[in-house]
Amino acid sequence: MSTLAFFLTQSVNALSQAALLFFLGVGLTLIFGIMRIVNFAHGALYMLGAFIGYSLVRWTGSFWLALVLAPILVALLGTAFELVILRRLYRRDAHAFLMVTFGLALVVTEAVRLIWGPDALQVPPPRLFSGVVFLLGEPFPTYRLFLAGAGAVMAIAIWQLLERTRLGLLIRATSQNAEMVHALGIDVGLVRSAVFGIGCGLAALGGVLAAPLVTASHAMAATVIIDAFVIVIIGGMGSFLGSLIGALLIAFVQVFGNYYLPDFALAFMYLVMLLVLVVRPGGLLGKEA
Amino acid sequence: MRWSSLLGLAVVAVLIAAPLGLPAFAMTLLTELVILGLFAMSLDLMVGYTRLVSFGHVAAYGLGAYACGYLLLNTSLPLPFAVLLAAVMTGTVAIGVGWVCTLATGVSFSMLTLAFAQLLYAIAFKWTSVTGGSDGLAGIPRRAGPMGLTVLTTKTGFYYFALAALVGSYLLCRQLVASPFGAVLRGIRENETKTLTLGYNTRLYKIAVVAISYALGGLAGALYAPFAGFANTELLFWLLSGQVLIMVIVGGSGTLIGPILGAAFFLLLEHQLSSYTEAWALFFGLVFIGFILFAPQGIWGLLTAWFKRDWMRLEKGRRHGT
Amino acid sequence: MAHSDERPSSPPLIELTGLTRRYGALVAVDNVNMQVAGGETRAIIGPNGAGKTTLFHLITGMVRPTAGRVRFAGEDITGQAAYSICQRGLSRTFQLTSLFPEMTARENVRLAAQARNRRRWLPFGGASVFKEAQGAGDAALELLGLTAVAERAAGLLSHGDQRLLEVAMAMAQQPMVLLLDEPTQGLSVEETAQAVETLARFLERSRVTALLVEHDMEVVFRLAHKITVLHRGAVIADGAPTAVKADARVQDAYLGGIG
Repeated sequence: MSTLAFFLTQSVNALSQAALLFFLGVGLTLIFGIMRIVNFAHGALYMLGAFIGYSLVRWTGSFWLALVLAPILVALLGTAFELVILRRLYRRDAHAFLMVTFGLALVVTEAVRLIWGPDALQVPPPRLFSGVVFLLGEPFPTYRLFLAGAGAVMAIAIWQLLERTRLGLLIRATSQNAEMVHALGIDVGLVRSAVFGIGCGLAALGGVLAAPLVTASHAMAATVIIDAFVIVIIGGMGSFLGSLIGALLIAFVQVFGNYYLPDFALAFMYLVMLLVLVVRPGGLLGKEA
Repeated sequence: MRWSSLLGLAVVAVLIAAPLGLPAFAMTLLTELVILGLFAMSLDLMVGYTRLVSFGHVAAYGLGAYACGYLLLNTSLPLPFAVLLAAVMTGTVAIGVGWVCTLATGVSFSMLTLAFAQLLYAIAFKWTSVTGGSDGLAGIPRRAGPMGLTVLTTKTGFYYFALAALVGSYLLCRQLVASPFGAVLRGIRENETKTLTLGYNTRLYKIAVVAISYALGGLAGALYAPFAGFANTELLFWLLSGQVLIMVIVGGSGTLIGPILGAAFFLLLEHQLSSYTEAWALFFGLVFIGFILFAPQGIWGLLTAWFKRDWMRLEKGRRHGT
Repeated sequence: MAHSDERPSSPPLIELTGLTRRYGALVAVDNVNMQVAGGETRAIIGPNGAGKTTLFHLITGMVRPTAGRVRFAGEDITGQAAYSICQRGLSRTFQLTSLFPEMTARENVRLAAQARNRRRWLPFGGASVFKEAQGAGDAALELLGLTAVAERAAGLLSHGDQRLLEVAMAMAQQPMVLLLDEPTQGLSVEETAQAVETLARFLERSRVTALLVEHDMEVVFRLAHKITVLHRGAVIADGAPTAVKADARVQDAYLGGIG
């Protein structure tokens, strides 16, 4: 195909990939911003979203219903986890948090294996977007276009939530100065639980959206958490804009890197992560981890 | 003599006598426990003594297993040399890993260890000529020792070899943590900045700990390959990193003995529960979370605290003549 | 713990030239020039936020300067790693107490003293390394009156004892230069008097060079040979205590600050 068509299709590809990565990263960065912890279970929740999405599509026949319900279910699960377990650890050191969320990741991964079996599962894309469209003469799956679009819409929606709504104001304030917010009489604990739930829900949303593309599988949990972590490191822990930029950067590196050097995708990620950690430990835009 | 040393000697004596009384399947389980115990103990050096939380310790295990398997399949090295060489190779690679991972601290360090393990996992799949791809290396022989010592090819002989490796490593680690080097590790664990400003090059110490920890983990992996007869990508799967970390925490981090207990607990659960339910691994994860919340000192910590309390009560009673 | 080597008194032991540290628009340390002679006790005073602790960070290598140089015993040590600078013979205490909370006081000072033992890397012979280090550590504990609490975990000591323990750790390293960042902060009146007397005797006997950040003026006048006054990161006065006391600019700065 012509070079222009190649770059165009690969770029839109990258944009759709960026959308998935953005959903992963923004949840992780929000949680970090509020709680100063890295939710290691994020990858596992992404995977859980994919599998729940699979089941919901099987039962209801509607991809859209699954798209709405799965994230809500996972968000509720996340909030419950925060209320019952994470709350007890706020006075302990950061390692306890890391290990508990790691424990959650293990439990979720095992639970998924028990409930859905050890095989990867196929999720069909919604009928509305299961065709192809022609970009400069090259066929391109409409689902990917949908993803890119969904990513853009959600990015704007979350941005507006953070900037214009009361909840968003609370989130931003708490991530800057939790004590102050508490002194103003607001239940910081509630904000934390809500943000943790939202973050988990966003991860699951990414999982449901990813399922038709990559199939729901078990290896997801570990690879995806590294991706999410790299994005957040690049963009900066706690920075919404940073997670957007990080997602775009990584997606383009992955898509084009995959084309030119297909076997080195993981090594690339590792190298990028290293580079950023060495050059700017706080990420490009964020607060110190 | 301190009660703990007496207890230790008693345990070792029991372990040495075990083959005389136990049936074959129990001996296999015991050998697996020894290997897994070594694997868990090696992680404790990093996690328990220096607070370097690694999510990628399978890298050491897998490297050791593949290296030993490869040596046994493609060279005529006697078993003990292959095992030791594999451990040394793992430790050498770990110097590089440690150098890279210690560029960061905290969560970033943990993520880097995970990333490295994932990298190895991917390489194991792709580098088919060396690693056998997704099939792995099969038919790894339990070859005789030097000078034709065939005792190592028997189950019992191999068990003693593995036990010697565990006890030897334990003594090495004990010596290490009781030495000035160990005192610095403790300083890094409690207050790294202060340790740095006292004049210690903390990064070098961390790299050293990573290298030793991985070398011993590699030793465990190198023992596993001829024990099981194969080495495959399952040994590099991240869940196993998680499980060994759980063994350390549940058993009791920072004690060397605790992780071995944790390994025993893990194997016990696996073999007892797996006949009833597939969910034993899930249960293990829940137990992990429970311990972090309610008993962070682990099983060994609980045991020693309970024993100390009883001991003090006994002492008080003795002094008051009751 | 006296130092046996004679040092020539002419070249300064510590020399700061044009030392500056900027954080964006904020100038924490502003073009500081300072010379400290061997055996001298220099007090660094100034209102809060004057840049005193940052100055310590710059000298000990915890923070890189934006501009300027730090010279120690004639050698340029600017930008070197903190641990390597400490190895040259500079030991410091911190404004916010920094100890090893789960170790006993004895273990704390032992770890401090151990850092100066070249044989600590050897896998064997650890016992003798420990013995030497513990000896130096115990002596420091005794000097500061902490022998009674030597076996207690550092995290369980009173705030005053913790600050003294930090000083003991610095002394146990038998440094050439001692940098003390508000050592008497949080100490009671009696504790302060005792600590000051101990420090005075120690400094006179050992001829260790000392840099002392202090708010308590009585402590300053008892211990310091010279005083450097910082205000908003810059040196506004430098000289003998009586002269500095009378300096108008100094009085000005303190009227606005928390002297």
